[in-house]
Amino acid sequence: MRVVIVGGGISGLFTAYELLKRGIRDVVVLEERYLGSGGSTRNIGCFRSSFTSPEHVILMKKSIELWLAYREELELQLKQTGYLWIARRQETLGVFKKLAAFHNEYGVPTRVLDPDEAARVQPGLNKSIVAGALFDPTAGRMPVLENIVRLYLKLKSLGVFFHFYTRVNRLTVSGYRVKSAITSRGEVEGDVFVIATGGRGTRELLASANVEFPVVDETRHPVITEPYAEIIRPALVIDWDTPGAPYVTQVEHGGLIFARNISDIHEAPLTSHRVDAISATIKPLVELIPVLRHVNILRYWIGYYETTPDHHPVYGPVSPYENLYVAAGFSGHGLMMGPVTGLLIADWILSRRPSIPVAENLTIERFKTGKLVREVAIVG
Amino acid sequence: MGEEVRRATTIICRCNDITLDDVVSAIRAGVDDFEVLRKYLRIGFGPCQGRSCLLVAARIFARLTNRRVEEVLSEYRVRSPIVPVPARVLLAGGEQ
Repeated sequence: MRVVIVGGGISGLFTAYELLKRGIRDVVVLEERYLGSGGSTRNIGCFRSSFTSPEHVILMKKSIELWLAYREELELQLKQTGYLWIARRQETLGVFKKLAAFHNEYGVPTRVLDPDEAARVQPGLNKSIVAGALFDPTAGRMPVLENIVRLYLKLKSLGVFFHFYTRVNRLTVSGYRVKSAITSRGEVEGDVFVIATGGRGTRELLASANVEFPVVDETRHPVITEPYAEIIRPALVIDWDTPGAPYVTQVEHGGLIFARNISDIHEAPLTSHRVDAISATIKPLVELIPVLRHVNILRYWIGYYETTPDHHPVYGPVSPYENLYVAAGFSGHGLMMGPVTGLLIADWILSRRPSIPVAENLTIERFKTGKLVREVAIVG
Repeated sequence: MGEEVRRATTIICRCNDITLDDVVSAIRAGVDDFEVLRKYLRIGFGPCQGRSCLLVAARIFARLTNRRVEEVLSEYRVRSPIVPVPARVLLAGGEQ
């Protein structure tokens, strides 16, 4: 059986890895540009399971378990240093208490902190404007670029065929089967097709097979500084009460990444830099952690949140086709979900159903039936 | 590479202390795209933004993988700001 994966990012790579582990030898990955050139190398490298829908919590808990297993198996790097959500307003603490209760019910040990406790987690916090915090000690971060390269080298050594700079323009179908992918470098036939090429790319490819996928790439503007010794101790500090939930993380080599959801044109080109993005992003974070006013801003780039109507990914089989699967629309969580994505897609291909039943709620069917998933805390 | 070059002590990227040895080892390990190599080793990711290291690294990569330098650099994009800018300057609207 030949499996053709469209998209050489984290979802495609982990799908290939799971398939290999289960004995599928003929796996081909087609990538329009270079390895991980979409969201996989444009994100900030953080992960958590403290979400607000059972689907997200259950799947992300499994994904973190798998990341930890792969840390040994694939010699990846990651650390669990926690997420710290900061409340500026007293009322927010009520929301935090409800969230902690929900997380605890699903086995995620988040807890509410007072300003003194929060300042112990994040030294230098301006306690005079902080009402409290929510802390998830199981969340964490990783060096994204190194981990993706390690996974890639492993897959290559196991015999996966990668074709880079190969754009898939459309799928050809015959009845209820996808027959081939028509690429910029010729036609690729296969028995099973997995589309994991981000928001817009997946939407356009599925449209070529007459399947509607409601997703839009929302433009994001992360900013990185020069490297410093430790300033940000948790994996991520998030300013909950400021619109666009600004956040800051310190990556492994010492650079600080700032980001904030500032409103922008959807699917703006990757090169359409905005002069106001940097100051709008760092201003609220400098209020919270005043030492940040002294950092030097090094570089800024654009990435996308491939956002679905309910901010949850789309997984699994694509009806009416028998051999077409999708893994896309992660709404900002594709990297962290990578391992569980691979697991689920391999389940569907080889066993016709996911080993984690709640994943059934995330198929593309939900946009037809209207059974969308609810999520209220999309940050980081 | 010539015999006379001491790979372990020859610095390619001065911002991130990446040596010639690091570059050659990564290519031999199977890193077969310059953008991926750059990201893996963080070449051009420091304060120089690639001004001191990029062409050197691109030429080594081109030579070892039998490609042209223009081809190797085709995916490279310059990103703003061109030089590091203190956060407090941006917060003051550039007037400080």
